[in-house]
Amino acid sequence: METLIQSLVSGLLTGSLYAMIGVGLTVIFGVMRIINMAHGDMVMLGMYGAFWAFTLWKVDPFLSIVLWIPAAFLGGVLVYRFLLKKIVPAGELTTLLYTAGLSLFVANLALLVWTGDYRTIKLDYAVMPLRPLGIAVPIPLAIAFGMAILITIALYWFLVKTPTGRAIRATSQEPEAAALMGVDVDRMAVITFGLGTALACGAGVLLAPSLYLYPTVGEILVVKCFVIVVLGGLGSVPGAIAGGVLLGVVESLGAVYVSVPYKDAIGFVIFLLVLLFRPSGLFGVGKS
Amino acid sequence: MKRLLLAVALILLLAAPWIVTAPFFVHLMIMVLLWTVLGASWNLLGGFAGQVSFGHATFLGAGAYTMMILYLKLGVAPWYGIILGGVVAALIAMPIGYMCFRLRGPYFALSTLAVAEIIRLIALNWESFTAGPVGLLITTLPKVTFWGKALNWESKTPFFYIAVVIVLSALFATAVIARSRLGAYLLAIREDIDSAEAIGINTVQVRVAALSLSAFFAGMAGGFYAMYLRYIDPDAVFSIALSVEMVFIAVVGGLTTVAGPLIGAVFLVTLGETFREHFLVGHLIFYGFFMMLAIRFMPEGIWGKVRLWTGAAPHRDKS
Repeated sequence: METLIQSLVSGLLTGSLYAMIGVGLTVIFGVMRIINMAHGDMVMLGMYGAFWAFTLWKVDPFLSIVLWIPAAFLGGVLVYRFLLKKIVPAGELTTLLYTAGLSLFVANLALLVWTGDYRTIKLDYAVMPLRPLGIAVPIPLAIAFGMAILITIALYWFLVKTPTGRAIRATSQEPEAAALMGVDVDRMAVITFGLGTALACGAGVLLAPSLYLYPTVGEILVVKCFVIVVLGGLGSVPGAIAGGVLLGVVESLGAVYVSVPYKDAIGFVIFLLVLLFRPSGLFGVGKS
Repeated sequence: MKRLLLAVALILLLAAPWIVTAPFFVHLMIMVLLWTVLGASWNLLGGFAGQVSFGHATFLGAGAYTMMILYLKLGVAPWYGIILGGVVAALIAMPIGYMCFRLRGPYFALSTLAVAEIIRLIALNWESFTAGPVGLLITTLPKVTFWGKALNWESKTPFFYIAVVIVLSALFATAVIARSRLGAYLLAIREDIDSAEAIGINTVQVRVAALSLSAFFAGMAGGFYAMYLRYIDPDAVFSIALSVEMVFIAVVGGLTTVAGPLIGAVFLVTLGETFREHFLVGHLIFYGFFMMLAIRFMPEGIWGKVRLWTGAAPHRDKS
C-alpha cells in the first residue's frame, strides 16, 4: 500500500512537469500545425540556463526562472520569425523534418560548447527529502511541482480569459474563420510559438535540480512529449495536462509493478495503441 | 556520354584504395559508402513514397544483430550474415508496416519513432539474446583466401570492396525501382494517396513492399557496420540519432534521385568525420545546419538542383 502511494506521488510530481512541456508542444501544434521536434532541446536549454545561473551567479534555480521564461519567449519569437515562418506553409511533414534539423543543430552546438559531461545542481536545502505521512518527497521536485501547477494555471487563465488567449484558441480551432473575424493570425502564431518555447524552457529550469543535465537530453524528452500530447489529443491543452500526469503515473507505477528496464516502453506501447485506435486522443478532443 | 561518365566513375571508385592509401581516407570512404546505402534505403520509402520514417535504425540494428548473433553463436560467415541481416530486417519491416501504415504523414513518422524506441529497449534488456548494454564483440574474422592470398582483415581494403558491392546493389535497385511499375505506384502515393487509392492501387501493400525493400538495404548496411566495427551495442545501432542521420543524408543529397544519397553522404559524412578528427563531439551540427538550409532554399537537394541546372530533370510547377 505504501509503495503504491509512494509511486503515485512521485508519478504525479514528475507528471506535472511532463504536463507543462506537453502543453507547450500542443499549443504550438494547435495554432501552427508545427510538430516541433526541437521542443525537447528547448527544455535542455532551460536546464542549462538554470545550471549556469546557479554556478556562475549563485542564483537559486527556482528564482532564475524569472529571467529564463521571458528570455525563452523572446528566443521563441525570434526562432519563429527568422527560421520557421517561411517553412510552415510547406506542410506538417516539411516542418517536422525542418525542426528535426533544428533539434540536431541545437543539441550538437550545446555538445560543442558545454561538452557531453553529465552535470548536476546541488542545492543545500535539498539534501534530505520531506517525509509527510512517511512518503518521501524530494524537495526540489516538490517546489518544481508547485511552480509547474502555478504556471499551468496562469497559462490556462490566459487562454480562457484574456482577449489574446481567446484569439489564440480561435486560431487553433479554425484559422480561416478566425482571420475573417479580425484575428491577426500571424501575430497569434508568433505569440504562441514564444509561449510554447517559454513553457518548455521553464519546465527545463524547474527540472534541472532533479535530473542529470547533458546536451542530448532533449532527444528522449521530445519523444515522451509526443506520447503525452497524442494521449491527450493533439492540440488540446487539457488533454496535454491529463496526458502528462498520466504518463508520469504510468511510468512510476510501471517501474514498481512491471519492470524498471521496460518502464519507458510502457509509454510507447500506450502511445502506439492510442495512435492506432483512438487517433483523437484518449478523451476524444484532439484533431487528427 | 552518360555511360562513359558512369564507367569512369566506377573505375575511379574501384581504384580508390590504391590512389589514396592513408587509413583515415580509406575509413572515410567506407563510412561514406555505408551512409550512402542507408540514405538510399531511406530514400526508397521517404523519397519515392513520401513516407517519412524516423525509425530506420530498427532495420540497421536488426541487420547488425542478425549478422553478429549468427556468426558468434552459429559460426555463419559474416558475408552470409550481411545478406541474412537484410532478410531479417525486411521480415521485421512487414508487421511494422502493416501496423504503422494505417497512419498517415506526421502520424506515421511519430509511430515509427515509437516502434524504434520499443525495439531499442527490447534489445537493451533481452540480455540472454543480445547481451544487453554489454554489446557483442567479434575478436577474429574467418580466414579467407582470395586468388591464393589470405585476406588481411586488419587492413581496411577488403571492407571497402564489400561496401562497394552493397552500395552498387542499393543504387542499382533504386534505378530499377524508379523505372518500374512499383516506382510509379510509390510516386502516385507520394503525390496524392487518396487518388492513388481511388485508381485501384493497394496503398498499404505497396507501402509495405517499399518499406521491406528499404529495410533490406538498411539491414545489409547494419550487417556490414557490425562486421566492420566488430562491436555493437543497442545504443550504437538502434539510436534515434542514426535514424535521423539517414533522413538528413537522403534529403540534403536529393530525394527521389538515384545518386542523391551518394552525394548527400559524400558531403555530410566527409564534413562530419573530418570535424570529428579535430573535435570529439558535435559533428552532427553540420547535419542539422545543412538540413535546415536545404529545406529552406533547396528542397530538391544538391543532386536534384544539379539535375535542374543541367536540364536532366524537368522543372516542376509549385502547386
